[in-house]
Amino acid sequence: MTMSRPRKVFFRRRKVCKFCADKIDYIDYKDVKLLQQFIPERSKILPRRISGTCATHQRSLQQAIKRARHLALIPFTTD
Amino acid sequence: MRTYELVFIVDPRVSDEDVVSLIQEYKQMISAGGSEISTEENWGRRKLAYPIEKLTEGKYVFLGVSSKDGKTSLAEVEHRMRQNDKILRYLTVRTDEDLKRAARRKPAGGGAPTSPGNAGGIGAEAPLDDDLESGEDV
Repeated sequence: MTMSRPRKVFFRRRKVCKFCADKIDYIDYKDVKLLQQFIPERSKILPRRISGTCATHQRSLQQAIKRARHLALIPFTTD
Repeated sequence: MRTYELVFIVDPRVSDEDVVSLIQEYKQMISAGGSEISTEENWGRRKLAYPIEKLTEGKYVFLGVSSKDGKTSLAEVEHRMRQNDKILRYLTVRTDEDLKRAARRKPAGGGAPTSPGNAGGIGAEAPLDDDLESGEDV
């Protein structure tokens, strides 16, 4: 069984920071559509290890999300 | 020069005319404080992502403010908003520094690392495929 089973080849796609790739330098808190890509179901901020965002952009993304939350453009939580 | 963005949410039960006069009042305060209003947008009625004071909707107003000498009366405007029950939320953000930083990043490191990286990736994959094919043929 174990011998005949073909070995699976794992492809780990290299994650690239979306903002670096799209050359978005200023992350606007008003751009709800953009921010929504980084807030999954529970409305938590998507961590860097999953999204692949670079540190600089993650920091400004975090700021933008928090501003948008204050203005009720984005929910704090969903349940 | 400093630029600011000012967003506030007005109670949806307030009539549009009153919202306009409210905007007028704040604009007057801002220009009296020595700064200019560069943009004014009325986003109108929008659904709130979560209820604020048991309201599910709000009227959004956006004001872009620029001040040459860095003096503004925004602190007073904020104070007035805090006292006004009709204002559900407000947010003042200083944007000139962030925009300047973004503009600096664009010519320096924006284009360079992404395009060669992509080219290298494609280049590296192609020879590998060739090797596999030739190996199978033999």
